[in-house]
Amino acid sequence: MRIGVLALAALARLVRAPRTWLALAVWFPLALAIGLFARAQGMVHSADHVLVDVVGALILPLLVYLLVGAMLGAGSVAASVSPLVAFGARPSSVAVTLVGVGAVACCFCGAVLAATVALLAHGSGDPPRLRDAIASAYVGGLGAGSYACWFFFGAAFGRRGGGRPIALVLDWLLGTQDGCTALFTPRAHVRNLFGGSPPVDLPERASALALVGICAVCLIFTVYRVRARR
Amino acid sequence: MAGMISVQNVSARRAPLALASVHLEWGPGIHSIVGRREDGGALLLALLAGVARPRAGHVRIFDRAPADVRREIAHIPLETSLPDALRVDELLRLACRLRSETPADSTGRLAVLGVEALAARAVRSLSRGEARAVSLVEGLTSTRVRVLLVEEPGTWMDPRAAGRLFQALHGKAQTGAAIVLSTASAREANELATDHVVMRRGAVVSGPASSDPRLSDLHRAYLVVVSRDEAGARLLAAGLARDSAVGGLEQAGAIVRVRGDDPIDVARATATAAVAAGAEIIELRWESCGAPFARAQTAGELAS
Repeated sequence: MRIGVLALAALARLVRAPRTWLALAVWFPLALAIGLFARAQGMVHSADHVLVDVVGALILPLLVYLLVGAMLGAGSVAASVSPLVAFGARPSSVAVTLVGVGAVACCFCGAVLAATVALLAHGSGDPPRLRDAIASAYVGGLGAGSYACWFFFGAAFGRRGGGRPIALVLDWLLGTQDGCTALFTPRAHVRNLFGGSPPVDLPERASALALVGICAVCLIFTVYRVRARR
Repeated sequence: MAGMISVQNVSARRAPLALASVHLEWGPGIHSIVGRREDGGALLLALLAGVARPRAGHVRIFDRAPADVRREIAHIPLETSLPDALRVDELLRLACRLRSETPADSTGRLAVLGVEALAARAVRSLSRGEARAVSLVEGLTSTRVRVLLVEEPGTWMDPRAAGRLFQALHGKAQTGAAIVLSTASAREANELATDHVVMRRGAVVSGPASSDPRLSDLHRAYLVVVSRDEAGARLLAAGLARDSAVGGLEQAGAIVRVRGDDPIDVARATATAAVAAGAEIIELRWESCGAPFARAQTAGELAS
């Protein structure tokens, strides 16, 4: 019952933040426009290219970064948690609910974004349209959820959540490579699952597990940081 | 029920605030901590609320750690933070559910402090004073809250709420709650609370005492009056010498030092003598302890 109340409060933060709708209004149309453009260019594997080079590399991480920022009010996780803790909720419960709701919402957005791009940008050399859309939705959802946990973890550092932009930069710096350091970032695994170059020649199934692992580790340490600050 | 709140040899630090070996116990009623923010009152409230942890010692609320009785504590710091995605009425209902109590009519709750017009407002649209008033309403009207911690109750408070604060706090105290106020204003402490402790630089320097906090530190202090010139100081000293409230007097150049059993009477005697002598006073200060609120009292006496 109280988890439900906390979840509704977290959802209200996301839905009622103007920044949420602004982020969706900017990045969704942009992704769809690029997909349509790629298909209009007559590229054989247009969906592949757009998903790997645009959605996975740029739009998905930035969209999730902004959605997490909207939920946190551009502050830290601790600051977002404290108003509800003041009414008697446990800090760990509030933090888990906040990250959970954020991750699920971002999963949904990422899945819809990737599936829509796959449908619109479908090229002659791409897999069958429906199958590609379902697979892209799976990757987009899993990647977005992992990114959400990653950015929430970043926002657990710094008085105003200054660790969140650092997490974005680290993901870009380490994840664009193919070496061992890329294993710890969502970027490399999302790229692998969308069909791009794998980090350390990791199979796709291992990257999917790695993304789940990043979710879990980031969630655990975010809750730990919130409790340690009290 | 003495010992609702127990602070046992607590030391804590939360830059730039610090506490050293604080030992206090409070029961039902309204209690005040008198001192500036940097003297540690705000940090002490944070410890009682479970928001901060002590480095040494123990804080007990109802004989348990504050984190274990969080639902029964309401902490209203100077910078109030509320869930900004909700409306005020939604926030009060949410607080009820989190405190596991039956939701009551939000408008009726807000009416306790005269801010019922805020019910339909979005929290993010509230001014600082309105947010503090809403936060205070939640703590005052919750049936679960038995410990209410308020930092600077008169500061940044919505004017509608400020006028009803005294009545509301006393109403809450009569239900058996323990209310602890942290304030830099001795007058506010005297008006709102039934007893006080005085803190200075993280340590308790006097109290708990039920007497006026302005008096408790001043019985060993003396009032230093700096006149514009030596002639004015001599006339002032002559006038003070005739006053029975003055126990000790010395004049050197333009400075007069006055001592007495009752600091308030000393201040009144000084004001009377200064007016009668036509002396121009350029500085007043208490020397020894209790300077800040004593200065305000003395200035008030001279003005009247």
